[in-house]
Amino acid sequence: MSLDEKFTPIRKGLLEFLVLKIVAANQVYAADILKALSATEFATQEGTLYPLLSKIRRDGLVDYEWKESESGPPRKYYELTPKGRARLQETADYWAKISGTVKNLGQK
Amino acid sequence: MNKVITLNLNGNAYQLEESGYEALRGYLETASRRLEGNPDQAEIMADIEQAIADKFRARLGPHKTVIVSREVAEVIGEMGPVEDAKPGSNDTATSASASTPPHGGATPVGSTSPVSPRRLFKIRDGAMLAGVCNGLAVYTHLDVTVIRVLFAVLTVFTYGSGGLLYLLLAILLPTADTPAERDAAFGGPSTAQEFIRRAKAGYYEGLKSFHDSESRREWKRKFRRDMRDWRQEFRREMASHAAQSGVAGHGYWWAWPHPGAGLWPALLLLSLTKAIITFAWILATLSLLATGAVFGLALPAGMPLWLGLIVLFVAYRFIIWPVRAARHVCRLHSGYGVHGFTGFADSFVWLGVLILLVWTADRYVPGAHNALQQVPPALHQALDSLRTWWAKR
Repeated sequence: MSLDEKFTPIRKGLLEFLVLKIVAANQVYAADILKALSATEFATQEGTLYPLLSKIRRDGLVDYEWKESESGPPRKYYELTPKGRARLQETADYWAKISGTVKNLGQK
Repeated sequence: MNKVITLNLNGNAYQLEESGYEALRGYLETASRRLEGNPDQAEIMADIEQAIADKFRARLGPHKTVIVSREVAEVIGEMGPVEDAKPGSNDTATSASASTPPHGGATPVGSTSPVSPRRLFKIRDGAMLAGVCNGLAVYTHLDVTVIRVLFAVLTVFTYGSGGLLYLLLAILLPTADTPAERDAAFGGPSTAQEFIRRAKAGYYEGLKSFHDSESRREWKRKFRRDMRDWRQEFRREMASHAAQSGVAGHGYWWAWPHPGAGLWPALLLLSLTKAIITFAWILATLSLLATGAVFGLALPAGMPLWLGLIVLFVAYRFIIWPVRAARHVCRLHSGYGVHGFTGFADSFVWLGVLILLVWTADRYVPGAHNALQQVPPALHQALDSLRTWWAKR
């Protein structure tokens, strides 16, 4: 089992956190999110992203507005809601704690 | 040379090679099924269709108007399997998603899942009344609008027995509430594809047997001869029946099945024949309008569409004429009022034949299925052009 496979569940679990991070930095539409993730270990496809976006919107973490685009039909631009911002802060803190633990555990 | 299919993706028309179309359809059906029960299902599907449309558009140019099958496979590969992000749906089968996208030749997801036959259910999501049409639409893979229009037309033309059928179905059909029932209603995606594959194999096999033009002509001749003989025999039979029952003809309409009313089976048969011919004509017209060909047979070169429609209509009138005449004779001698029991019973015959025909055509004639699927966009287009015309005045 490769490391890549081994960490699949962890990457999957972190995806929501990363999407929140990307949306927090900028008002983006789905293709921007995919592009931001594509160069990383978290490269994702539409098939995964769209249901995830719909879920976090339903959870009240993000919202979208329709905006005209120069080419093609209007697009949904996502941005964080106050609740999403709070969740992002919470998750970031928790992640910092976990990664601190991973780093420090077993060291002398 | 490959057949090209036009499809509507979230409001945009694209032309795809046939095998690519099947692959895409499989992908979308699987996606829709995986999102079953998700309150945002329709919205996510629209997003996904839009994303596919964007990817198609990026592959088209002024000199390239058709998406080839290889490109469809590429796009499906890029999209990746659709998986629901519902809380608690952490099944391992979908866990590979966060890994890097696969490159090239992706196959539609779920094409290997076990075959499960679809069942007819009522489906309440998005239903207008009880969800009967919705269930039928899912069962037949047709747009629900087509089914609804069919039901409405049926009710008008059949003395209301279409409405009666709806009521019956509404009472008899179970509602698909649980996920398992929904799965049964929608069936495995493999079922649909397997069906299409098999139907096509049969269709082409049939066409192949007509390759020899001499035998084809012979077959046609024989068919026409048989039809003529059959019609003559039928008329003779009718005449004798009419003569017999002329005596006992003045019964009451509820006397059916009165043994003296020997015309009843004949009337039934005639109604059946008339209904079959009429619906064959309607299907042929629809098919001509939607695909420019009658059940896959293209019009002769240089023949405009309107002329084709007229020829179809004339042929229909010609074929139906003896049947109509016989029915008329039959009714005159039967003593049943045209607006009495026969009219109502007739409508049931029509109903049965319509359902059987549409079902058969949908299942076994790939062209007819596509034609039926083209009806809603065609209706929308017609409405739009009508509206612009009205606005101009």
